[in-house]
Amino acid sequence: MSAQRPGRIMPRWEGAAPLDLAIGVMAFLAALAVGASLIAARTAEGWRAGLASGITVQILPPERGAIEPRWQNEVDASLSLLRGTSGIARAEPVSDSDTRALVAPWLGTGVLPKELPLPRLVDATLTPGAAIDLAGLAKRLKQVAPDSLLDDHSSWTMRLQSAADDVIWSACGILALIALGTAATVTFATRAGLAGHQPIVSLLHQMGARAGFIARAFEWHYFASALAAAALGTVLAAAVFVLAAGLEGAGLAPVPFLPPLGLGLAELPWLLLVPAAAGIIALVTARISVLAALARNY
Amino acid sequence: MLQFDNVGMRYGAGPEVLRDVNFRLDAGSFTFLTGPSGAGKSTLLRLMYLAEPPTRGLITLFGCDLATTRRSRFPGLRRRIGVVFQDFRLLDHLSAFDNVALPLRLARRSVHNFARDVEELLGWVGLGEKLDAEPPILSGGEQQRVAIARAVVGRPDLLLADEPTGNVDPDMAQRLIRLFVELNRLGTTVLIATHDRSLLESTRAREMRLVDGRLVEMRLQHA
Repeated sequence: MSAQRPGRIMPRWEGAAPLDLAIGVMAFLAALAVGASLIAARTAEGWRAGLASGITVQILPPERGAIEPRWQNEVDASLSLLRGTSGIARAEPVSDSDTRALVAPWLGTGVLPKELPLPRLVDATLTPGAAIDLAGLAKRLKQVAPDSLLDDHSSWTMRLQSAADDVIWSACGILALIALGTAATVTFATRAGLAGHQPIVSLLHQMGARAGFIARAFEWHYFASALAAAALGTVLAAAVFVLAAGLEGAGLAPVPFLPPLGLGLAELPWLLLVPAAAGIIALVTARISVLAALARNY
Repeated sequence: MLQFDNVGMRYGAGPEVLRDVNFRLDAGSFTFLTGPSGAGKSTLLRLMYLAEPPTRGLITLFGCDLATTRRSRFPGLRRRIGVVFQDFRLLDHLSAFDNVALPLRLARRSVHNFARDVEELLGWVGLGEKLDAEPPILSGGEQQRVAIARAVVGRPDLLLADEPTGNVDPDMAQRLIRLFVELNRLGTTVLIATHDRSLLESTRAREMRLVDGRLVEMRLQHA
């Protein structure tokens, strides 16, 4: 009965559906941006951890003398040195077939000519937490294997980290633009709603309602609408990420060559920030718009 | 309570619809405002319930000179006034109960606190069975009674009613007038704008007559 639960002073504005749609679409895009930044951060961390935990020694073919025995001697010497170095957990030569597989994306999978000199590789894994003097190690390697080159992957790590940072900052920029767009849309809709509810606003004003009371009636209305619309958009975006994860789990990469595009269960809750932010943006924007309009018109 | 000194009012560049209006409503008084259509009764009421400022003259309400009172104090002054609008101005999406309870909600009273008062008042004006009815399904007379109940429910210091019995039968009109008289007896200052001479004849009250924007007659009616 109405006596126990008073009705809402401000009815739903009948022209609000386009606003809900706009907020839902923006929330969908914002959730995609949040998800993309999460994937970028996770991928960059994976790359960084993978690369930072290992080093690679390349032994180029000797330029003079009997190539094969010297080349193999340098590989063996490098292996012995690495295996005897404190802080290196494992050192193994990379097989010729694996080396060819590494260059296959660039040179193809056909038979490579014998005269094409591929360096021999030694892959070493560092003991977690170990502090190794990589410059000193490179010098000692040069002494036992003059044609060796030590690659600690730092240039790759930095580039990948930089690329991931770019993706994350781009996502932040997109989120800021979406927030701005949402605020502008809500401002426009609030003004239209205020005009649509003019008889009610006028009556409340006449009965002695303070501007804050009227603004509250509006802001909660827009907060609830934006929250619901943004929640729907976010659920759709979450479904996209879950679907991508499902496809990857089934062995079907939605986009080849890109890192996994699915979000894990632990990452999905981050998307809840989107409807929360949309609701707060709508609430604050509606309040400011209503108070400004009331000060102007009454 | 309420005093007008040399008040004039015009809309835009049009002629003055109120000219040199001077009067005073004492606290606890009961007054009828009469006059032909177009005499300026509704405009005079609009000035009284602070819908707009006069173009000239001085209005003093509840001891406040409105020309120098800060706008931030106006909501508080308006809450002390109950108004029965000629066109009712009910909120169509709210029930009769919620419409009547609106002034109490504006005064931040809780629903548990006022529910019984609102139900009793709606019962008194003959709408006890229509608490949940929304205005569009009520007749004109029923809507008018909801509007009256809304104006009086908060026991305002000043009650202004614009043709409050225009849509009800004579018996109900007398019943509503008794409601106003009872409210007046409890301390509310009442001013009723009306064409209905029978109301004046049934109530001992002062009459202010407005003709062509001027107050031309003030006299005491004897029941």
